Amino acid sequence: MSTKVIENLYYAKSDEWLKVEDDLGTVGISDYAQDQLGDIVYLEKVEKGKKIKPGEALTTIESVKAVSDVCAPVSGEVVEVNEKLLDDTSVVNKDPYGKGWIAKIKIENKDELKNLMNAQEYSEYRKE
Amino acid sequence: MRYIPNTEEQKKEMLKEIGVSSFEDLIESIPQSIRVKGKLNIPEAISETELEEKIYHIAQKNSNFFLMKPLIGAGAYRHYIPEAVKFLLQREEFWTCYTPYQPELSQGTLQSIFEYQTYISRLIKMEVIIPSIYDGASATAEAALMSLRLTHKNKIIVSNLLHPHYRETLKTYLAPHEPEIIDLPYKNGLVDIEKLKTLLDEDVVSVIIQSPNFFGGIEKLAEISEIVHSKSILLINVITESMSLGILKAPGETGADIVTGNAQSFGMDLNYGGPYNAYLATKKQYIRQLPGRIVGETVDVDGKRVFVMTMRAREQDIRREKATSNICTNHNLNVLATNIYLSLMGTEGIYQLSLLNTKSAHYLENLLLKSGKFEKVFNYPFYNEFLLKSKEDISTINKKLLENNFIPPLKIGEFYKEENLKNVLLFAVTEVLSRDNLNKVARILSE
Amino acid sequence: MKLIFEKSIKGRDGYSLPQDLFDEIKIEECLPEYAISKDKKLLSEISEVDVVRHFTKLSKLNYGLDDGFYPLGSCTMKYNPKINENLASLSNFIYAHPLAPEETVQGCLEIAYDLNKLLCEITGIDEYTMAPAAGAHGELTGILIMRKYFVDHGDIRHKMLIPDSAHGTNPASAAMGGFQVIEVKSNEKGTVDLKILAELMDEDTVGLMLTNPNTVGLFDEGIEEIKKIVHGKGGLLYYDGANLNASLGITRPGDAGFDIVHLNLHKTFSTPHGGGGPGAGVIGVKKDLIPYLPTPNVAFNSERNKYYLLDAGEKSIGMVRAFWSNFAVLLKTYAWILSMGPDGLYNTSETSIINANYVLAKIKKYYTPAYDRYCGHECTVTGREYKKYGVKTLDIAKRIMDYGMHPPTIYFPHFEPYAEETIMVEPTESESKETLDKFIDIMIKISDEAKTNPELLTTAPHNTPIRRTNDTLAVKRAILTYDDELKLKDELNYQEKDINF
Repeated sequence: MSTKVIENLYYAKSDEWLKVEDDLGTVGISDYAQDQLGDIVYLEKVEKGKKIKPGEALTTIESVKAVSDVCAPVSGEVVEVNEKLLDDTSVVNKDPYGKGWIAKIKIENKDELKNLMNAQEYSEYRKE
Repeated sequence: MRYIPNTEEQKKEMLKEIGVSSFEDLIESIPQSIRVKGKLNIPEAISETELEEKIYHIAQKNSNFFLMKPLIGAGAYRHYIPEAVKFLLQREEFWTCYTPYQPELSQGTLQSIFEYQTYISRLIKMEVIIPSIYDGASATAEAALMSLRLTHKNKIIVSNLLHPHYRETLKTYLAPHEPEIIDLPYKNGLVDIEKLKTLLDEDVVSVIIQSPNFFGGIEKLAEISEIVHSKSILLINVITESMSLGILKAPGETGADIVTGNAQSFGMDLNYGGPYNAYLATKKQYIRQLPGRIVGETVDVDGKRVFVMTMRAREQDIRREKATSNICTNHNLNVLATNIYLSLMGTEGIYQLSLLNTKSAHYLENLLLKSGKFEKVFNYPFYNEFLLKSKEDISTINKKLLENNFIPPLKIGEFYKEENLKNVLLFAVTEVLSRDNLNKVARILSE
Repeated sequence: MKLIFEKSIKGRDGYSLPQDLFDEIKIEECLPEYAISKDKKLLSEISEVDVVRHFTKLSKLNYGLDDGFYPLGSCTMKYNPKINENLASLSNFIYAHPLAPEETVQGCLEIAYDLNKLLCEITGIDEYTMAPAAGAHGELTGILIMRKYFVDHGDIRHKMLIPDSAHGTNPASAAMGGFQVIEVKSNEKGTVDLKILAELMDEDTVGLMLTNPNTVGLFDEGIEEIKKIVHGKGGLLYYDGANLNASLGITRPGDAGFDIVHLNLHKTFSTPHGGGGPGAGVIGVKKDLIPYLPTPNVAFNSERNKYYLLDAGEKSIGMVRAFWSNFAVLLKTYAWILSMGPDGLYNTSETSIINANYVLAKIKKYYTPAYDRYCGHECTVTGREYKKYGVKTLDIAKRIMDYGMHPPTIYFPHFEPYAEETIMVEPTESESKETLDKFIDIMIKISDEAKTNPELLTTAPHNTPIRRTNDTLAVKRAILTYDDELKLKDELNYQEKDINF
């Protein structure tokens, strides 16, 4: 069973995806990540205005059997948080690339994008 | 050997099927330089009868404690344990099984933990109960660590009347994290509330208060709670004698944020210090910072109500170095002992027993004061333990009591070096001392 | 099954109190108003008969070690001798108050003292403290000792090396001890990668925590080199004794160069697991570390021929619990060692190693071993090849229950790429060849079922008192007491079924 990978997104080795629209980046976790975690039960609140660097934790995501950090794929500042997830964490499992987005960040340095993978590369990386 | 079924014959057979010529082939990877040469230098095995005789012999070197009534508590209390508790505990399904990681095979254990959580929650009026930390001291240390995690500040105020062993344990656990531990002195046998007000500042994380305190005194928790909360500081309540909950106000009613309690009085023998069991409780909002195991209710695929360990993402096997604590094996059988004990005692039993303990303690204090040989040190309200200063040398007093088959009270000077506590004893009374026993104590000490 | 609270009927009781309740004394004369609870705490009201029935029924929902095979890797589920339980319940022990005068508890002190000596000989160590209440508690104690040792020598170090295969309590304990955890990868043989260890070990590292045999059940033959590397930079070597059952009478951690050792008395030393404790995690140290042991310890005055509690001195790390030890557990351990003697201990380890290798040899055709070599007292295989049938290791474990056995440990240890979908089997010396053969047959049968009828496994178990649980719902609903359930009563819709006997 292989998990879904969406075109036109950037992917980090730690299984986050990044959608870039001008300076705004939307961050979530990939289908592979949500599948590995299992049913997600809790997400720690993300702080708006938080400044993060690549590899730093935006939030922690918890399933019944595991805990994982959701890391920032690039440097930036958190400008919006998906509040809907506080009520219903299952959205991340059901629609990880759409309604299950976690946070939006103002991208500081677009050069960092070249450190990420494209859809093809990520598919290869997570091939089962 | 009766505990090892496979014979030498069978082992030879098995080695053949494994495909090796000798046992040595299996342990080849263990360097010769660190092998045991010859046999371990320990006594040769003894038979079951010889073992029984030997241990009985050693037991005779202890006093005949069954008949020796304790006038001492100080964190460990002798209460009568109904026979049904011990009888049920020894069922092998409870006694020999492992931690309930496979709920399908451990509903007995899991349901009993859930019932314990409910009982304790009702006694202390807190929402979330961790059913087992090893003992009250380590539980209090865990509570302190938890409070540090919740607020990231670095001062903890600790009552001087917290059990001395608990205070020592707290210091040991906190040493690597280097918070400032501030002593909260007592006045007249209770926490000095005026002094507390001056110690609270914005770097204080939590205040740890034991009640009934080490002297047996009942702290003014509602008042303390108001003062502490006005500065957004956490109040941690510690209970060493859980039986007091029968008659005293629940810490949840007087504003506790975290509660740790020694549950030994509920169904556990003294056993020369352990194993006991402690609960750690808090409000639902802090649940993710709690250490230890917790059991929750859910359904199985057939829709039956079942119980499982839950909120596991806090624990060491999942979180490793980020876990809320390293605790793994706890004191689960003692959780069951408490569950059975509380089921038998029930609402009325705990209430009546708590009343009885209070009254008999006050009865003894009264008698001893009336004898003229003792005087009060402080004037504070107490539950079932109290301080008395003796006019005679307390070593002589304790010797008299020992000779008359009582475990003597604690010489408080062993833990508190104040001048006015010299020659002072900490008495404890529980229901195992009858009126006759107490009259006898007073009589012996009046002579 | 109904909860105890659902059996409560007003007016019932299960206790007895003496006639004399000191009625002449009024409670208001004893306690101030601020202290007295307005209402009674509502617990339950149940007769002794119903309590006994309730817990008897509950027990039948459990599977215990006396029921059958319990091959949990890393837990050492060995037989709990019944005579030891009897001896631990002697009244001169159970009614001994921990603060009773020393002259009244010479029996208890003698046992603690003698046990110390026995454990020192068995493990090649100089002195034990009996304080820690469990393995993890022992780990924390040991780590605090290591920390104090370095602080005392004016050598402040910040890091602790821990293999990727380590039990979760190791890094958790190191973190509690204030250290930064640095992971050391295992090599393709399943043991500590010496090259990586040498690179990571430096003078800012307190030492290495090692389980040997390790958590995959393999003896780390690099132990001499490991000792050189760690001691070479002034570090200390910590031994996690969870797997000591493979070493009794064969090798001793003290001789292998370990400075600190913790033992799980409820594992190797036969004391019962009780559904999750109590046990004891005694800590042993080499003589340089003795000053740092927790206080007090048991000593012997040969002049007066008396045992006594000795204050450990100002270098001690302090106390890690109230009073002295889990004495009841110590007593059972003592009794077991006396019953086994040196030959019995050797036999224990020899038999457990043969038993584990026997199982491995017979099932490795069906379940790929994590490492293809002889194991210690436990073997680790994987359920990886069944993934393609849609079967996970979890499903295999659940199906084992249908055959009347407790499954082995699953998903521990877990480190890629070798230890994935792991099944760790530790038979212990208590199991007979027939039981092992039965287990092997079951595993082979399940291997077949995985290929021909995978749904049987993915929906297992079928024959247990309850079936697979909804763990996600447990977290979401957070029903942690019966009162939480009552608050949600209208939303809940259970099918209450009693167990059929």
